[in-house]
Amino acid sequence: MSAATETVKSAPGSDELSRAQSGMDVEQGTSLWTDAWIRLKRNRMALAGGIFLVSLTLMALVTPWIAPYTYEGQDLQLGASAPSAAHWLGTDTLGRDLLTRIMYGSRISLMVGFLATAVALLIGVLYGTISGFLGGRADMLMMRIVDTLYALPFIIFVILLMVIFGRNLLLLFMAIGAVEWPTMARIVRGQVLNLRRQEFVEAAIAMGLSNRKIILRHLIPNVLGPIIVYTTLTIPSVMLLEAFLSFLGLGVQPPMSSWGLLISAGAESMEEYPWLLIFPGLVLSLTLFSLNFLGDGLRDALDPKASKD
Amino acid sequence: MTTSNTPLLKVDDLRTYFHTRNGVVKAVDGISFHVNRGETLGIVGESGSGKSVSSYTLMRLIPTPPGRIESGSAVFDGMDLLKMPEKDLRKVRGNRVTMIFQDPMTCLNPYLRVGEQLMEPLLIHKGLSRDDARKRAIRALEEVGIQGAASRVNHYPHEFSGGMRQRVMIAMALITEPELLIADEPTTALDVTVQAQILDLIKKLQREKGTAVVFITHDLGVISGMADRVLVMYAGRAVETGVTRDVFYHPQHPYTQALIDSIPASHAPGEELFTIKGLPPDVSKPLPGCAFSLRCLHAEEACRSTDARIHELSAGHGSSCLRVHQGSLKVITHRVAHASGQGAHA
Amino acid sequence: MLKFIIKRFAAAIPVLLVVTTLTFFLVRIAPGGPFDTEKAVSAEVMQALKRRYNLDQPVYVQYFDYMKNAIQGDLGPSFKYPGRTVTEMVKTGLPVTFELGVYAMIWALLIGVTAGVVASLRPNTAQDYVPMTMSMIGICLPSVLLGPLLVLVFGLWFEWLPVSGWDSWQHKILPSLTLGSGYAAYIARLSRGGMLEILSQDFIRTARAKGLSNTAVVFKHAMRGGLGPVISFIGPAIAGLLSGSFVTETVFQIQGIGRFYVQAAFNRDYTMILGTTVLFSVMIVFFNLLSDIMAVWANPRLKFETSKGAR
Repeated sequence: MSAATETVKSAPGSDELSRAQSGMDVEQGTSLWTDAWIRLKRNRMALAGGIFLVSLTLMALVTPWIAPYTYEGQDLQLGASAPSAAHWLGTDTLGRDLLTRIMYGSRISLMVGFLATAVALLIGVLYGTISGFLGGRADMLMMRIVDTLYALPFIIFVILLMVIFGRNLLLLFMAIGAVEWPTMARIVRGQVLNLRRQEFVEAAIAMGLSNRKIILRHLIPNVLGPIIVYTTLTIPSVMLLEAFLSFLGLGVQPPMSSWGLLISAGAESMEEYPWLLIFPGLVLSLTLFSLNFLGDGLRDALDPKASKD
Repeated sequence: MTTSNTPLLKVDDLRTYFHTRNGVVKAVDGISFHVNRGETLGIVGESGSGKSVSSYTLMRLIPTPPGRIESGSAVFDGMDLLKMPEKDLRKVRGNRVTMIFQDPMTCLNPYLRVGEQLMEPLLIHKGLSRDDARKRAIRALEEVGIQGAASRVNHYPHEFSGGMRQRVMIAMALITEPELLIADEPTTALDVTVQAQILDLIKKLQREKGTAVVFITHDLGVISGMADRVLVMYAGRAVETGVTRDVFYHPQHPYTQALIDSIPASHAPGEELFTIKGLPPDVSKPLPGCAFSLRCLHAEEACRSTDARIHELSAGHGSSCLRVHQGSLKVITHRVAHASGQGAHA
Repeated sequence: MLKFIIKRFAAAIPVLLVVTTLTFFLVRIAPGGPFDTEKAVSAEVMQALKRRYNLDQPVYVQYFDYMKNAIQGDLGPSFKYPGRTVTEMVKTGLPVTFELGVYAMIWALLIGVTAGVVASLRPNTAQDYVPMTMSMIGICLPSVLLGPLLVLVFGLWFEWLPVSGWDSWQHKILPSLTLGSGYAAYIARLSRGGMLEILSQDFIRTARAKGLSNTAVVFKHAMRGGLGPVISFIGPAIAGLLSGSFVTETVFQIQGIGRFYVQAAFNRDYTMILGTTVLFSVMIVFFNLLSDIMAVWANPRLKFETSKGAR
């Protein structure tokens, strides 16, 4: 009681005092994340992956200002040329600068990766939390629906949607996101079910907090670890799906470019101009590598069970 | 105990350390003991005292890394179990020296029928045909008192209760008629009523087959009923050894005395239970002197610096207590003396 | 056990019904019909076409007709290739795709399980790192990239293997490797994890204490449980292989249903799209069911529970 009154009296923003007074909770919270951060930093591959991804994202963001050429700028006289001082990664059959096209392609590929994952995240987390929180029959029904969705040939549906509604970027990541959410929902639901049985949630229920508040304030923050890990691992599978669709000609449409599209174009002329396949492929692979290593590293760092040994 | 003078198993200066990220855990730190043919040696100590690790070390079942057998020898019938090649060891392990474990719920393979698991030692060590091995497996189940053994061999472990599974484990360990059985807390995970049955079973089979047993437990009551001789361990070291009766009635180490005093049955009803103050030491830190000195009510300056090793006080009865050696401490138990207060007098 | 299978089977029927219905109506609401070709078609011809393909009926009649026929194995005529039925085309494409999938699965299991088990035996040593790094590379080289790369290296530079078609066994190596590699990598990680988990169990210690050799411990005592995750993965993997066959069949120009489907998608050949979607769903549901049954078979404890649950 007295601690609470003192906190109120102390000037707002005097962080240290309130932290000291609210005691263990805050300290434990901090140390968990600090601990995870320390563990992550020790994992060099994960760290390298993280740095690569951050640099790539920054580069993609400022591409319009730093790209050496314009992405549709053709130089038909030049045609396909091997890497040179003027064109670091060479040019494609239309004489377009490959580096520029890869940079613009990153914008699309990363955007699809992030946004589609965000869609999956939003649906999955909400669905999983609600299902786990409600429990009982509602939970059973909701998980039954997820099971059913698992049995559907989703990629075929994505293709179908792209065919029916046209190859539209917004639709592309909505469709991919819609495909990826059930796994997220399952993971979150499992975590919430576990948490629900724990005392602090029971206490919150006993205190008469509304369901909405319990979910937002107590449940979601506590399932954050697995969500972060799974998100890092969803992004690569989303990007793969995009590459896949673009490769088939069902994803991003020219003259826009994405890595999948560049690889597809590169594959067509790879015998004469192998760099057109190799460079976009390298960027895609490195990105997938980084995401996977980062995801693994985060899992080791955030999952206390895995880090025990 | 037997005609031969050389013991069946002689362990000398055994040290098993675990090299972990947080330092070297000296789980077993220089223990020595021997087991004669047909006798039962009880090893007693609280959890973390290294008693289980020492038994795994004998069977070379320590996961390496992080574990490592640092030094010592364990001579069984003229062979050093710790240094012999893995290939030769496999002929002894599971054949002449066998083991039963603490938790029967997890120690049987859930994916294989019980019969298959029982037959395995016979197939690999005795060269029996599958038919003969099967018959022997059924007989072994009957010997440990499992009804309907002929059909039970076809069942999976999850179809047995905990006590029944431990019977299966015992049948499996004794099926090759070993000379030495290591029983690592075989009754700890069982209900009290089942415990007594299992203990009786081990005793009966041991008598019939003349098997020597190393019986590991934290339960002094169990030891007193099972063991001919006893070894008391604390923080990876041996503190006292001797014939069970001597050790129980005339303990020569304050730790043994404290253990005996903590048995609830040794107290008068309503009397406050005796507990040993403090916690066992962290064995990953250096522990100069006697490991118990930090909790010992009688420790002196010298106890914390002088190395404490077992010295014989009388024939077959040894203690590692410095003050007992010096004669400056006489250990008397509550149980015998029923003295109030400290129960030990300087 | 039988009850369990029947129960799972019964649960699969509504799934298939939902898929078929959903696809049917999705295709119907799609803008642009299948006959929207470059040349304008007169109203009479259009009318005749619609009658021929049963499109002049109300939608629900079309739906029930389609369902009735589909159950009997008649998936209707192809919109794009007059005179050919979808069932016919599926019959030529399915064996090819199936064969490709089987080879890919064999590669995946062979490479994946070996790598995973080998890695699990000595965790955190070179014996672990090498196969696991390879598996990471496998995961990060998607078929859209690996396919063309294999063609480039083995087909065009070294000229060891043919790069398109599906005739001799040489034709089948590169496509099945392309399709299987990602799964091999994933299976390697799954089996490593599963084996590590099982190898740390008490009953493995019991097996060692019996004097069994390491080989016997691994093969007899650990594999069955350790490969549980792999067995459960086979169903989803086959589903993934089937849908992954789109890219592989395109890269190597193989006439399987994956290729038909992509072509149908481009051509807006709706009956073909519908037919292949239904077919894919049936296969995916079937293989998921199969892998569930296998998982129960491999784990006696589950068998016990399902038989108890069915009572």
